[in-house]
Amino acid sequence: MKNLKPQDMGKRTEQLVQLGKLMDLPAPYDQPGMEPPLTVPKDAWKEKHCTTLDGYVGIDTLIRPQTKAEEEQVVNSFLSGLAKIFSDDVNRNFLQPLVLSIKYCAKCNTCSEACHIFKASGGQEIYRPIFRSEVLRKIVKKHLTKSGKMLGSLVGADIDINWETIARLGELAYRCNLCRRCAQACPLGLDNGLLAREIRKIFSQEMGIAPKPLHEKGTMLQLKTGSSTGLTKPAFLDMLEFMEDDIFAKTGKKIKIPVDKKGADILLTHNAGEFMTWPDNPAAFAVLFTEAGLDWTLSSDMIGYDNVNYGLWYDDVQARRVAQEQFKVAKQLGVRRIIIGECGHAHKASAVSMDRITVGEDKIPVESFLPLLWEMVNRKVLKLDPQKNNFPVTLHDPCNVVRMMGVVKPQRQILQAICPQFREMTPHGVNNYCCGGGSGFAIMQSMNFPEFRKQVGSRMKFRQILQAFQGSMDPGTPKYICAPCSNCKGAIRDILEFYHTTEKFNIHYGGLVELVVNALVDIEKPFLEFLA
Amino acid sequence: MILLVYIYFSLFIFVFVSLWKALKYAKMPMHSRWELYPVPKETGERAKYGGSYFEDYQWWAKPREVSHVGELKEMLKEMLFIKNLFVNQRPFWWLSYTMHLGIYFLGVWTILLGVGALTEPSGLPSFIYYATLISGSVGALLTALGSIALILRRFTDTTLRKYTTPQEYFNLLFIFAVVITGMMVWVGDPGFNYGRMIMKGLFTFTPFTHGGVLTVHIILLGALLVYIPFTKMSHYVGKYFTFHKVLWENEPNLRGAKIEASVRKALSYQPKTSWSAPHINNKGN
Ligand code: SF4
Ligand code: SF4
Repeated sequence: MKNLKPQDMGKRTEQLVQLGKLMDLPAPYDQPGMEPPLTVPKDAWKEKHCTTLDGYVGIDTLIRPQTKAEEEQVVNSFLSGLAKIFSDDVNRNFLQPLVLSIKYCAKCNTCSEACHIFKASGGQEIYRPIFRSEVLRKIVKKHLTKSGKMLGSLVGADIDINWETIARLGELAYRCNLCRRCAQACPLGLDNGLLAREIRKIFSQEMGIAPKPLHEKGTMLQLKTGSSTGLTKPAFLDMLEFMEDDIFAKTGKKIKIPVDKKGADILLTHNAGEFMTWPDNPAAFAVLFTEAGLDWTLSSDMIGYDNVNYGLWYDDVQARRVAQEQFKVAKQLGVRRIIIGECGHAHKASAVSMDRITVGEDKIPVESFLPLLWEMVNRKVLKLDPQKNNFPVTLHDPCNVVRMMGVVKPQRQILQAICPQFREMTPHGVNNYCCGGGSGFAIMQSMNFPEFRKQVGSRMKFRQILQAFQGSMDPGTPKYICAPCSNCKGAIRDILEFYHTTEKFNIHYGGLVELVVNALVDIEKPFLEFLA
Repeated sequence: MILLVYIYFSLFIFVFVSLWKALKYAKMPMHSRWELYPVPKETGERAKYGGSYFEDYQWWAKPREVSHVGELKEMLKEMLFIKNLFVNQRPFWWLSYTMHLGIYFLGVWTILLGVGALTEPSGLPSFIYYATLISGSVGALLTALGSIALILRRFTDTTLRKYTTPQEYFNLLFIFAVVITGMMVWVGDPGFNYGRMIMKGLFTFTPFTHGGVLTVHIILLGALLVYIPFTKMSHYVGKYFTFHKVLWENEPNLRGAKIEASVRKALSYQPKTSWSAPHINNKGN
């Protein structure tokens, strides 16, 4: 559709937009043929799901109704949820920020330039941060306000509320990484990311609709088995044994990983995805913590070995349930503090978002691993040789660690100390761009959604990565993107694979602790596999 | 006399509804932490690069340091210069700031009129006279210019036009109309003597003489004052909360901390209704 407006979300057209020319990538990806063309959705998906927004399906559980009655039921359920987000009874935790962001938008459009999705898409109208907010605002005006009911389009209450509107809006809430970069730019301090999240909440908490990887195979599985990976306690313990052997083989160090040590100083928690996909990361933590002589432990308790909290992205109730269980584990172990490993959203969940769900004896302080790691490097507790990391390294800042938590400097100090060729991305720190995997995208693999993530969501990050390594693109030089977050690593892994960047240009990715272990003086072989 | 009462009334509504709104926001339940860095009340360099106390090793064992000066400075920059817009969207800032600066000048002008009205019986000091003259004329010109420029910009820019509702044009037009009628009165009385006369009337509760244009101006201004707090033009209230109570609110809930009592109270709340999705009431099964 040409000249698309928020009102068009209610029109019964086939597909509002078909993505075309995306933001240019820098050399060598500025050449034709370096990127496969975008695809169109399969007919079967069109029939079953909502592809009428941009052709992508993010919510695999959003099923197209077959009858008028079913359609109405969905619309009514949405509207009932809409009323609830404005209730000071059931949405207490977000009422104030929500009302402010709904009420005060000056439509100055400052936020658009800040959004990597909008920019990467080549400026597609529907991805403008205020497009989504404005659709929501129009529905609110029309359905919930007297002025909207009386004055209609004069006050912006001009939108048809039908199944298509609601379904598209639900999908659109999953075209936002909740990175909140737009909120930083807003002169009124409004938050389009928050509004996207509130839409996701209506879908999940009221309508029972959320992407499977986040809900059914995410928080639900975690609450049931202890981990969203499905990892059970016996499997976890096996894995640790295997990891100890692996550490020995790689570093020559005989390490006993402490598990369920009562009264330890530190409970270290990881994203369980690390154990499954990047076991070198928890292994590196074990090496460093042992080397530094810390009094630490892992937990093998239900949920104690998985610090993720997908609820953060779509459902307050689930978020709280998961966090409560996680805090309980720490309390029962009697540890002095919880240290969060390399998982961005777990940082935010445990230290920030869920900071106010426990009090008194139940309250165990939560720290990021970063200040601790810097302390270890800075105090020379570890014997490190930066020359072992003498290759170009750049740092990706996970939004949840920087923008949402303010941990910016320690990771830089560490990299400056151990990587002689460290270079920043532009922009970085609290002004970073999201990796494109934020808010669940990294694990949402249904249908054609990964195409959206890789070619649009992660595009700005890919551009930044290439820019950071300009001048060093020679395939003979290994290069490393340090991404201290599981989800960011997942998103970055996928773009490097998609664009064949590792194979063509020798660009690798991984965490921060691996770099530190790689620099340890007393290990003979490189810890980073691509250097071996 | 009726006009006098009308002015009292509109001023009262403006202040009362604005305060009532502020109170409404202030009384909303404590929300989950939702801060966004940089937070200017963090100390030293951190306020600039966006660091927080979480950067300290064992942060929770250290005394919490907060820079109220830093917060105030950032707040003033935002209030006086609309800094975020200046940094992120300069072309729009020129227009928006022209109007806002105009309104600030008119605010100062109003105060000066009051001071003038009080000092006039014992001889109006000339600097008050001239300061009134300058603030009033500059304020009126900037506000008129800014509001009409914003209307034109919104109307001619294809993107902005999509998002601007008729009401939003009306709001700007309303401001423009008030200023224009004001300027029409001013043309006949360049020294703003009529302004001091009205102020005197307000202070002493005595009716003042008013011609046709002045009457229209006062009626429009009063209506605007009544209207503003009910619309999003009351962002002078909202902005305080978005920054102070949401984006910059990063008070950690530590055992024994002051905030703990409020957290405890918030946690004790039992909702009367519930969400309807099946998993909500099945405790995750
Ligand atoms: S939160 Fe991030 S992804 Fe979402 S609209 Fe804002 S800038 Fe874009
Ligand atoms: S920057 Fe803020 S006020 Fe301006 S359009 Fe975006 S959300 Fe609205």
